[in-house]
Amino acid sequence: MFEQQLINGLTLGMIYALIAVGYTMVYGVIQLINFAHGEIFMLSAFLAVTFITVFGLPIYVVIFMTMGCCALIGVMLDIFAYRPLRQSPRLAALITAIGMSIFLQNLAMIIWGSRPRPFVQEALPAFLRTPALSFGEATVSWLQLTIFGTASLLMIILFLIINKTRVGTAMRALSQNRTGAALMGINVNRVISFTFALGSSMGAVAGIMVAIYYNTLYPTMGYVAGVKAFAAAVLGGIGSVPGAMIGGIILGIAEALGAGYISSLYRDGIAYAVMIAVIIFRPSGILGKSTVEKV
Amino acid sequence: MNISLKTALKYLLLGAVLLYPLFAFSSEYVLHVMVLIMVYMVLAMGLNIVPGFCGLLDLGYVGFYGIGAYTAGLLTIHFGLSFWVIIPLAALNGAIWGVLLGAPTLRLTGDYFAIVTFGFSELVVLFLTNEIWLTRGPLGLPGIDPVIIDLTWLSTLIHPEWIWYWEFIGLRPYFYLGLIMVALVYVIMSRMEDSRLGRAWFAIREDSIAASSCGVNLLTYKVIGFAISAAIGAVGGAFLARWTMFLSPDMFKFWESFLILCMVVLGGLGNFKGSLAGAAVLIALGEILRIVLPQLGLPTETRFLAYGLIMVLMMRFKPMGFFPAIATQSQKNPILIKLKKELGSSS
Repeated sequence: MFEQQLINGLTLGMIYALIAVGYTMVYGVIQLINFAHGEIFMLSAFLAVTFITVFGLPIYVVIFMTMGCCALIGVMLDIFAYRPLRQSPRLAALITAIGMSIFLQNLAMIIWGSRPRPFVQEALPAFLRTPALSFGEATVSWLQLTIFGTASLLMIILFLIINKTRVGTAMRALSQNRTGAALMGINVNRVISFTFALGSSMGAVAGIMVAIYYNTLYPTMGYVAGVKAFAAAVLGGIGSVPGAMIGGIILGIAEALGAGYISSLYRDGIAYAVMIAVIIFRPSGILGKSTVEKV
Repeated sequence: MNISLKTALKYLLLGAVLLYPLFAFSSEYVLHVMVLIMVYMVLAMGLNIVPGFCGLLDLGYVGFYGIGAYTAGLLTIHFGLSFWVIIPLAALNGAIWGVLLGAPTLRLTGDYFAIVTFGFSELVVLFLTNEIWLTRGPLGLPGIDPVIIDLTWLSTLIHPEWIWYWEFIGLRPYFYLGLIMVALVYVIMSRMEDSRLGRAWFAIREDSIAASSCGVNLLTYKVIGFAISAAIGAVGGAFLARWTMFLSPDMFKFWESFLILCMVVLGGLGNFKGSLAGAAVLIALGEILRIVLPQLGLPTETRFLAYGLIMVLMMRFKPMGFFPAIATQSQKNPILIKLKKELGSSS
């Protein structure tokens, strides 16, 4: 029982970590909570199902197409919604972010309808549902292993992009001092757009994985998952990419154990409670910088 | 007497609204919408304190609305308290939660505050849904008494046979009670705006470093603002409880917070008079969309598409709303008007 909950929590946590990375990177670069990130996660699930059912493409192609589409949506979101507000007060950008989130969510409701639908199981390889490992009472399915592997691989790629490439260096420079970075010849807007694209494509993979894992997708799924991923980002220390990974995994395990042992009714509440507690007692999170307003 | 056409029209409109329920042709539906607008006017004015006056985003206002409503509902059902006792109690409960939530989190930057308020309102809904022993959960809380004005103690004192006991039936009494509530909150808001408190809030919004160096205690004033805002939200909730006589956790979902925020944004941040207009416009728009959308074959929830778009466009093109408070006030300033006249005549 305990081992099984731990495994489920770990799988969930890897997915949260993938979404949280998108929040934390955007926050690091432009100090904005991109509330619409959860909606990109939701759109990716719907886009994937549409690509499979309408065009009949294999799942491996669909994943890459969805990543590309979501990256494009993320960049467009930045260009049309957030870029005109770079010089405005932060409140204006935050309200725009929440407005875009609601807009995209309802757009999805208009296009695909508000009822939950199952994921197209025929498109998936059959072995995913079979158990891969089992020890004691706990079993790990191939699906869980795949999620774990894909997420870990993406995290490593992300880590390499941020730490080893030119654009990654530019992103880090931007998060330290935007004016300074601009003076060093960094094209600020392009780097910000790249950050949105990177975060959105990570969210896209997470969206597809959640849709497959729970075998359901609905237009409001981005809202709960988005808040939980944000909680994970806060837990790990917002602005810190390794922090988001750690936060996601801790939150996923806490949620699975809490739902199993405390009360499954408060399943979503655990994420909120963890988030509020972290913000009150340790706002910098596990790996973040201090965020208390000194003045 | 020289009353301009504009003022005359304004008073005429006000008079028409005031007398509307007394006309024979007044429909129950329109009255219902009007009372609903009043509830949202109170909420929008209350919310305006936090993002408008203090410059902090509050995404969980509906949590306080829900706390006020359930406080009123439970106190009425279990203790049979009068409406006039419940209103201050609900406001107090809202304010207590506001302080409890605000005091630790308002030290942080505004972004964290936004997300904490959001989490709080979600926790309130989860509590209301799951603590069935207290709130009956998703079944809702029916059988809340309507508002009662009981003045028998006074009337029997004057004359033993007089019984001044009035139970509110139908929408008309609620219409006038709601009007009184809106007027009271309006007066409180306009007094606060020009008080030391209001000036401190504006200072924090415009430049918190300058404000704190002028001796404004940032945390204290933010917490006061948040608590007052919460208390006003709770009053709105208490009114709702005694008006609809039924409560359910679904009435306090995140959507409501968003709708109220959209009203504030439409009316202009920091302009509580604009919030009145924002509430009226958006509730009316919601009612229209509720009829139009099903005819287009869309679910009625998709009306939030319009609200989302409104917020994005407002922030992009009219960040201070359609009636920017500061600009209009400076235009009305008698010194400025005189100065303009003098400058105009000399040139």
